[in-house]
This record gives sequence, structure tokens and C-alpha cells, in this order.
Amino acid sequence: MNAASPAVEMRGITKRYGAFTALESVDLVVERGTIHAVVGENGAGKTTLMKALFGSIRPDEGTIAVEGEARTFRSSKEALAAGLGMVSQHYAIIPELSNLQNLMLGAEAGPLISQKAAETRANAIMHTMGFAFDWAKPSGGLSPGDAQKLEILKLLWRNARIMILDEPTAMLSPADSDMLFSSLRRLVDGGATVILVTHRVAEVLDHARSVTVLRAGKGMGTFPTAELTPSSLAELIIGESPPRFTADPPTPGPVRLSAQGLSTKGERGNFACRNVTFHLAAGEVVGVAGVDGNGQRELFEMLMGTRRTESGQLSLDGEKITNASPRARLAAGLACVPEDRHAEAVVEGWNLSDNAILSRQRFDPISQKGTLQSGPIAEWTKRVISAFDVRNPGVKSAIGSLSGGNQQRFVVGRVLGSDPKVILAFQPTRGLDLKATGRIYERIRQQCRAGNTGLVVSFDLEELIQHCDRILVMRDGELLDPGTMDRAVIGRLMVGGA
Amino acid sequence: MKHPYFRLALLVLAAIVAVALLFTTVDRPLPEVWEGFVRGTTGTPIAWTGTLRETTPLLLLGAGVFIALRAGLFNIGIEGQFIVGAACSTWVALNVPGPPGTEPVRMLLAMLAGGVSGALWALPAAWIKAYRNGHEVISTIMLNSIAIALTDFLVAGPLKDPKGASPSTARLSEAMRLPFAFSQGNLQVSSGLLLGIALAVAMYLWLRFRVAGYELRLTGENPTAARAAGVSVARVTMAAMVASGAIGGAAGAIHVLAFEGRFYQGFSPGYGFDALGVALLAAGNSLLLIPAGFLFGFLTKGGASLQVFGVPKGITTIMLGLIILVAAAIRYRRESNDA
Amino acid sequence: MLSFATNTLSFATPLIFAALAGYLSERSGVINIALEGKMLLAACLAAIVGAALGPVAGIAAGLAAAVGLSMLHAIATQTYRVDHVVSGMAVNAIAAGAANFVLLQNRDTALAKAVQLPPLGVFQVLALLSVVVIALWVANTRAGLRLVAVGNDPFKARLAGLQPVHIRFAALVGTGLLAGLGGIYLVANSAGNYTDNMTAGRGYIALAALILGGWRPVASLVVCLVFAAFAALSVQFQGQPFLGLAVPGEFWTALPYVVTLIALALAMGRTRAPGGLGRF
Repeated sequence: MNAASPAVEMRGITKRYGAFTALESVDLVVERGTIHAVVGENGAGKTTLMKALFGSIRPDEGTIAVEGEARTFRSSKEALAAGLGMVSQHYAIIPELSNLQNLMLGAEAGPLISQKAAETRANAIMHTMGFAFDWAKPSGGLSPGDAQKLEILKLLWRNARIMILDEPTAMLSPADSDMLFSSLRRLVDGGATVILVTHRVAEVLDHARSVTVLRAGKGMGTFPTAELTPSSLAELIIGESPPRFTADPPTPGPVRLSAQGLSTKGERGNFACRNVTFHLAAGEVVGVAGVDGNGQRELFEMLMGTRRTESGQLSLDGEKITNASPRARLAAGLACVPEDRHAEAVVEGWNLSDNAILSRQRFDPISQKGTLQSGPIAEWTKRVISAFDVRNPGVKSAIGSLSGGNQQRFVVGRVLGSDPKVILAFQPTRGLDLKATGRIYERIRQQCRAGNTGLVVSFDLEELIQHCDRILVMRDGELLDPGTMDRAVIGRLMVGGA
Repeated sequence: MKHPYFRLALLVLAAIVAVALLFTTVDRPLPEVWEGFVRGTTGTPIAWTGTLRETTPLLLLGAGVFIALRAGLFNIGIEGQFIVGAACSTWVALNVPGPPGTEPVRMLLAMLAGGVSGALWALPAAWIKAYRNGHEVISTIMLNSIAIALTDFLVAGPLKDPKGASPSTARLSEAMRLPFAFSQGNLQVSSGLLLGIALAVAMYLWLRFRVAGYELRLTGENPTAARAAGVSVARVTMAAMVASGAIGGAAGAIHVLAFEGRFYQGFSPGYGFDALGVALLAAGNSLLLIPAGFLFGFLTKGGASLQVFGVPKGITTIMLGLIILVAAAIRYRRESNDA
Repeated sequence: MLSFATNTLSFATPLIFAALAGYLSERSGVINIALEGKMLLAACLAAIVGAALGPVAGIAAGLAAAVGLSMLHAIATQTYRVDHVVSGMAVNAIAAGAANFVLLQNRDTALAKAVQLPPLGVFQVLALLSVVVIALWVANTRAGLRLVAVGNDPFKARLAGLQPVHIRFAALVGTGLLAGLGGIYLVANSAGNYTDNMTAGRGYIALAALILGGWRPVASLVVCLVFAAFAALSVQFQGQPFLGLAVPGEFWTALPYVVTLIALALAMGRTRAPGGLGRF
């Protein structure tokens, strides 16, 4: 093991999925004891590259060397044994297990578990990072920020020297993000190497020493961050100046959706939303910002009708729909793009036609007197597909065979195609590149300006600021009005305080 | 639509192989056993009659299980619904009075009674699943056992034929029997079979072209998406389970009216489980219930024929179990190749 | 009163074994309605092989059969991703068919002599011990932790470096052994004889006990005892008027099933199902 060799050296990494090239001859060199960023848009190949490093997938071409030795890992187990650790976007924390159990799962000291010995070691590691955990508590109650910390402790428990963090601040508030980076600083001071995968320019420039840029599967080069500016880095990532969205301010129309004091309970019986009040006027697109886990999901489900409203009132164009069923709300002109399309918006095995009529199946002309009408269905399907250029092998093909991005476009096209009075969207542009994101927001805006109204929930504050007319903030189940579009003010409101 | 037929052909092949293995357990010369098997199933008009007789309840019950399966439910309780429907309809057929010539109406009434009792027997399991999210497998299996105990009691006591010695009801008169759809010499095809075929076809059309059918399929595939799309999942679940029970009960009635003419202890040789196999073989298309029902009927009759040679019924059960496993495994292979 | 207590324990023992068998399986994420078939075939082979070759061979054959069926279920559900319920029913059918076949092929042996199995007390103590051992094992060993992790969330367990399929196969071996013991007990409890369809639904009742006990060993033990108490009641009052009413024999036969059904309707314990049941 050569002390001067880089922590990680990947050369010429290529990975194809059929006709689609996810990575093309990508190089990545990470120096020891640094924070190195890997940056690119959604779909640029960052996660694929890390999976190749970590052994979750095998590259078709290319070499990998860890700490000077050529390695190929066939499983994450082997990667862990070699000192590599990865914190993925989905925390691998099982809610029913205790914090201690989650910490040691997969890396227990021996066949018998000694609670005391384990706790002692856990506390020691915990102190080096300045965290605090109640080891006996089930992990289900952890906030995203704390879960992140536990994930880092897991890496330390396994003596990882090279740590890969994939979009670590995706679910964190600005304050939690700052704490994360000071933790990373500590790790690096202690001799570890950190690879930071992100799409956020500010993070890269503030905290990383060097950055490797990926664009559409190709490496754009590695640069010391000291030599970059926000716009030069953004240009490298996108390849062109970011599209400027000219805001045509809406002419405020009558209130279409009115919520007064809505409250609902969450999974654990606690109140997930408390006293939520807002009014959506015709013509405007309102964004709901906030850290994940503050009640946005529950609010959305309440508006959709799949979660019971405990108290308060909801009216659409003056009609009370507080306790209306999802079907009644659909009939009244409410339409939703739900968060998890797999679970809620499509049936993977069904073809495009069957998926296109989902939620419209009871309405004329899709069905008449209880019988499905094939002619109108075919027409409708065509419209849904062409709305956002869904690439597909045919109307009879299963929707599961479409790429994730195309599936999402399909769903959004379906929802918007029915020209709903109220558009509710939860992360509608997740997994889509900048161009598609722009087009979808443009269409939403267009339909709202025509007299409808829209509510978009997202965890991407930048996106909301760029595309919405005004923003509300969800925190601890309450909906707050920052009164401005200023990022700093909104950010502070998201965490509660200066 | 190439795939389901291809798979069915593969399964028929597997069935033939299984049958061949079965033969090896008998110490008679192979040709003799094979000849016995073929003659017993399709060699003579009587054999055909017997095979189609086995097919009828399997097809009907298979359809019952199928509709529940499409809604995401395992109605293992169809056995109990079958028995309860049979017992109830027998009682109605024996005890509802009427002058001669009203037999068709009374038979219809009996079938209705069968359907209603079957539906009621499915109701507890339906409710437990829809409103308590209790897995319907155990509740229906419990109901099966209770059905057997209950009808055993009834048929040994209150419903027993006073003139008979064994635990059985009285026999239905010749007029109170479902007519043959086709009868020539020894080949007799009951109209019960036609009812089964009609049911399979009707189900196909309903699932494909009616909105309610679409919503039922949706509930079975993705209940969360169904809810978001405005479907009342609890109501669809209840309806599917109860409908399945009604079909099971009606199948029991048809079995009495068409073939047995009475109800007795041990009425069902376990058609309920076989029906699950029939429904699974049909995969996503209710029209396939017809060939699937025939396949199971064919194997069951063949197994019965071989009992002459001392091959216990257990072998047929093993074979059917293996076929179901293979069918499900093949489906996995196919799906993973498509993906 | 004493006979009521001993009857209860005796009726509970096969249920306890089967419930523990189901525990290992379901805690690892494999839905298991095939407990019935495993018990049945184990009982059949233990009696018949035991009558021919002695108790040791009989017990070995019974356990091997149960484990074999368990492995079939494991391969079907894990390698071929067959629906767990379908696989369970198919395995039950195969077991029932095999038991029927073995019985009829060996009628003479079965009638000639009965196998001399260890005394009932041994099994009963073993059953109670197993509950304690398994409860401690899950809480304090690496293997136990991994079992529960895999059953709660196989996807995340994989991220943590575990291999759910391997763990499930191992768990299902344990399931086979315990279910086999349950079946063998039934034979021991009827003087070494096996009768057709001897299990009479006990496998399903044991699964219900597991569910009602919230997938926890000790709670399931309690539920098994309650179910067994009802069966003991039926023996006590068989043929006699109960509370002044003439009760038919079938009522007592049906009682355990009715109790199970009612308990399920009241949905006790439902919400604690391992999150990864049936998932890959």
C-alpha cells in the first residue's frame, strides 16, 4: 500500500444498460484525506458510478484501484471489508430495530451479542463525532438528520476509511446540512476520505477540495474548487447557461381551493398536520417547501382524500369537500400527481392504455353507463403520451418497460391532460432533467394562468423558488407563510429560528 | 396472446410426465397401466362423461376462485361455500313444494339458495379482510372446517333421510335434476358444464369491458393506486369475496342438481383446493379456466381410474400440487425474462 | 381439574411446536401456511418408518420429511418467487398426497405394530424449553438479530450487507424441524399410531396462534394454551350435556375453529406483522 497513492482511482469506467449508456469512459481520482465532490444533474450517472465503485454493479469496462491496489468488488460486503462505506439516499435503517441494533447490523462483533460491550463501543464512536443517541430506542422515531448521523456512525463502526455519501443533504434543513459538513470535516481531519455525491453547487464550492463533473454519463474533468465560481461550475454541469424563467406575475383571481384549520393524524397516531390554513387563487402556482417529514405527505393525502381529516374544512369553488371520497374530489376537478408513482399512480404490469385511464375510468367519455369505450380511450392515451413526449415502444407495452423519467412524464401528462381545476403535485419532477422539469412547470403555469390553480410540494427549494408564484413552508405539521421568496428567510423558517 | 397458450402447452407436457412417473409406482406392465389411464379418461363415451363430470365443478369453482384472485384475494374457503351451498340447495329442492311442471322454477330457487348461502358463508372472511385486514387464508380455512362439522351434523340429524342408513339426505326426484345439454348413448354432457363455460365467458367480458371489472382488477394489482383513483377498496374486496362465495355455493347446488341428487357426508372430495389450481393456471384470462378445468378434470378422472390398479388417490394430489408449483414458477421465469 | 390441566398441556404441545415453526419462518419474511402439511407428513413417516425400523429411524424420517417440504417451500418462494400462499397450499397438497400414498402402500405395516416413541413428557418439556430458547436467541445473538432484520425489511437488510435468501433458507430448516416435532408428538400421543389426516387443521390453528400472539414466542405460547384449553374442555364434556344442553359431538369438533375465527375477527395482534412478510 503506497502512502502517496490516491484513496480511489477509477479509470475508463463504462456501463451500458442495453442501448442506453449510463457511463462512458469516466475517470475518478480521489486523494486521501480530502472531501471530493462528484457532481452532475439528475441522471448524469453519479449514483451509477458510485455503485460501480461499491460493488453493487459491475462496469462493462474500466479499472478500479483502492488505496493503490487494483480491486473489483463483487458485493458490498467485499467493499466494506476493504474499508469503503456508502451512505445511500435511502437510509438503510430499519425502524422496528433499536438504534444499537441498526448500528451493528451486518457487522456484529460475534455470534453472541453482548449489549454492554456493544454499547460501550458505540458510545466511544459517538463521542468522537459529538453526537448523542439513545441506543435502546427504536429507530423509527429518528428524524432524517439523526438518521444521517446514525449512518455515519455505522461507517465508523465498520472502520470505513473511504466514505461515499450520496446526496446526503437531500432531506436535511440548512442547519442540519451545516452540522453534517462539520461532521465530515472532523472525519477528514481524522484521516478518512469522503466522496460527496451531490447536485448542489453551493455545497461543492463551500466544502469540497476538488470536484469531478459528470454530464450525461461522460466525465467533464476534475477541478480544484478553489479555481471555480458558482456560474462556471453550473455551466460545466449543465453545459449551457441555466434557462432563465421570466416570471409573468399572475392576475389574482377568485379563490378556488380554500383550506381552513385542517388537521390530520399520522401513522403513529400523533397529529401530523395542525391547523393548516391556505387559499389558492385562480391563476397562481403555490409551492410548499419544507424538510421531508414535516407533514407534507399527510397534508397531500388529506387533500387527495385518502387520509381522514380530523378537523377543519376544505372547499373547492365554495363547495365543501372536507369529507368527500377520492372519487368525488376527482369528479369535482381535483387532480393529483402523487409522490410515489409505483405505489400510487401506475400499475407496472399494465399497458399504457389501461394506465392512461387510471382515475378517469368513471368519467365520460372514457366510460359510458359503466362500459369502457375503446375509441375515446385510444384517443386519450395518445394525448397523454404526446403531452410530454413519452418515449415508448407502443401503446400495448407495459408501462414498467418505460424508463423512470418517461413514466413520470406519462403520469404528469395524464393528470394535466384532464385540465383539472386544482392541480396538486408532490415532487412532480423527481428524476427528471432540467429541460423536462422546465417544460412541466411551464405547462402547470400555463394551465393555472388559464384560471385554474396549483399546489406543488417539493423538497427542492431552488426548484420552487424558480417556478412558483409564492411559497409556503411546512414545519412540524404547520403551514407557515414567509411572505417573501427570499431563500435565506424561507430556509430559516424551514428549521424554526435564526 | 402467445404466451399463455405456450405455457399451458408446457404444463400439459409436465402433466404427461407426472402421469408417467405415477405409472412407475404401479407394478403392472406399463402399457397396461397407460391403456387403463387413457381408456378411463377419454377412451370411451362413458369415460368422457366421467371426465366432463369431474370438469364441471372444477370449472365452476375455479371461476369462483378466479374472480377473488383478480381482486387480490385467496378464497380458499370455496370448499366450505361449495358444501354449504350444496346442503342448503338440497334442502330447498326437497322441501319447497310445488305441482309437477314447476320443477325448473324450484331448481332455480335451489340454485339461488345455494348462491345466497355460499355468499353468506364467505361474508365473515370478506369482512375480516376488508375492514380488519385479516388475512383471508386462515379465516376461510377455519370456515371450511366449520362448514364440514356443521353439515356433518345436519346430515346425520335434522336433514337425514329417515329411510336411509347412512348420513345423507333423501334423493331428489328424477324431475328435479338438471337436464343434459347433450345426451347420446353413453356420452352425457350436463348443462352444468355449459353453465360453467358461460360463466367463464361472461367473466371475461365483464372484466375486460366494464368499469367495475377494471376497478376490480385495479384493486387486485395495486390497492393504493386504486384508492387514489377513486375506488373504494373495502367495497370491492367485500363484493369480490362475496361474489366468489356465491359462485361457490351455486356450484354446490349445480353439483347436487346435475350429478349427485342428494347431499351426504363427504360430499366434496376436496374440489376446493383443486379449484385454486384451476384459477392459477388460468392466470389473467378467465377464458383459460375452460381448458384448465378440463386438464384438472382429466387428471382427476385418470387418477380415479388408476385406483383400480391400487394407486392411491394421494398420487393425484401430489401431482396437482406439483403442477401448481411448476405453473407459478414458470410464470416467474417468463416475467423475469420479459423485464 | 388435574386432568383438564394435563389435557391442556398435551393438546398445546403440537400447537406450540408448530407455532414456533411458523415464528421462525414468518419472522424471516416467509409466509407459511404449510405447517399443516409438514406436521402431517412427519407424523405419517414417523409412525410407519418407526414401526418398521424403530423409533430413531422413525423420528429421523419424520424430521427429514418436514425439512424437505420446508425446503421445497423455500425454493419455490425465494428462488422462483412463487406467491407464498400459493406455494404453501401446494406444499400442503403434496404433503397430504404423499402421506395418503405412504399410508396406503404400507397398510399392513401400520396395522401390525406401532412405534415406541419417547414419553410425552419429554416432548412437552422440549416444547416449553424451545419457547424460552428461541426468545432468548432472537434477543441476544447475531443470527437472531439478522433474522428479525431480514423479516422486517429485506431491502434495507441487503444494504447492510445481509443475504436475506440465505437467512430464510436457514430459518426454514428450523421451521421444518419444529413442525416435524409437532407431527411426531401427535403420533406419540396416540400410542404410536398414525391415522389418515391426523393433524386435522392444527397447523392452521397454530398459525392463527402466532398471529394473535403478535409474532412473539411467549405471547404465542399463551394463545396456544388458550386454544388447547378449549379442546380440553371439549374432551371433558364429550357426550355429556354442557350447561344442561345436549351438545352434538360436531360442536366440540368445530369449537377450536370457531374460537380461532372469532379471535381473528377481533384482529388482535394484526398490526405487528413483520414488515417484510412476502417481500423480497
